[in-house]
Amino acid sequence: MNKVTTQWLKCPVVACLCLAAAIAQGQESKTVLGPTNPDLYYGAEALLAGDGEEGVRLTLLGLKRAANSRDRITGMSNLCAGYIMLEQYEIGLSYCDKVLAKNEQHWRAYSNRALAYLKLGRFEETEADLQRAESIAPNARTVKVVRSMLLDATNPVAPLIVIDDRRQAADYDEE
Amino acid sequence: MRNSHLLVAAGIMVFSVALAQEEPIVEYVPGDEGERKPLQTVIPAYPEKARRARVEGEVEVCFKVNRAGKTSRVSVRRSTNRAFEKPARDAVRASTYLPLPKDEELSGIKTCRTFRFHLAPVSIDQIEAMPL
Repeated sequence: MNKVTTQWLKCPVVACLCLAAAIAQGQESKTVLGPTNPDLYYGAEALLAGDGEEGVRLTLLGLKRAANSRDRITGMSNLCAGYIMLEQYEIGLSYCDKVLAKNEQHWRAYSNRALAYLKLGRFEETEADLQRAESIAPNARTVKVVRSMLLDATNPVAPLIVIDDRRQAADYDEE
Repeated sequence: MRNSHLLVAAGIMVFSVALAQEEPIVEYVPGDEGERKPLQTVIPAYPEKARRARVEGEVEVCFKVNRAGKTSRVSVRRSTNRAFEKPARDAVRASTYLPLPKDEELSGIKTCRTFRFHLAPVSIDQIEAMPL
């Protein structure tokens, strides 16, 4: 059999990352028009658009101006995702760790940290974080994607399709 | 058809090929004597969502084949998972059979084809190194 490239290597990292909802900041107060922390907001937008460098740059600026704990957690969570996007996994891990030190129910941070561990080949830690993410957000699509990436890395499979033109017993019964 | 691969299957017995990276391994089991002979057999794409979730399944599709070898009235007779039905139907619609010789009578009986979607384990050493 030819060499098989695992699907997860080709999975765009941005599609697997979870970004905290910095965009929701604009809805915090009805007296404010637009986002309260534009750098954080546009940083999240850049990350969502796949621009890791700009996303990280803006999010770092936004984090300096973070006015409350929620903004700080959002910023750090997005930095975790951003650095993973830039393939700087150790830095990404450090930001995910910071998020989880402040909020141990932050499933996005578990999911992103699992992805960083996966990219570093640390599969046991990936599994542990995935289990935590799944227990908090069992239906989250990104968690499912990271789960499938782990499966592809540890138990890879190749599609095998059998095309059988023989008549099945039921075919005769119905004719 | 996107993500599908064309396979000329006429006269071929059971075979197994890994066509290239990410292309499925294919096994073909020919029909009984007297059945219409395939000319071009389109291989359905394994649904990515099902592959990721490690879901396997089986679909039997029945259809008419006209004198020219074109398929029509394609319908699913039996299926274990709906995710596989569309790829199977699409594959049959895009497949063709050898034209019927002029002296042969066209049968009114539907032709059926069973697709089995499996996932075969791949050993780790067959995977390319992870670029880190």
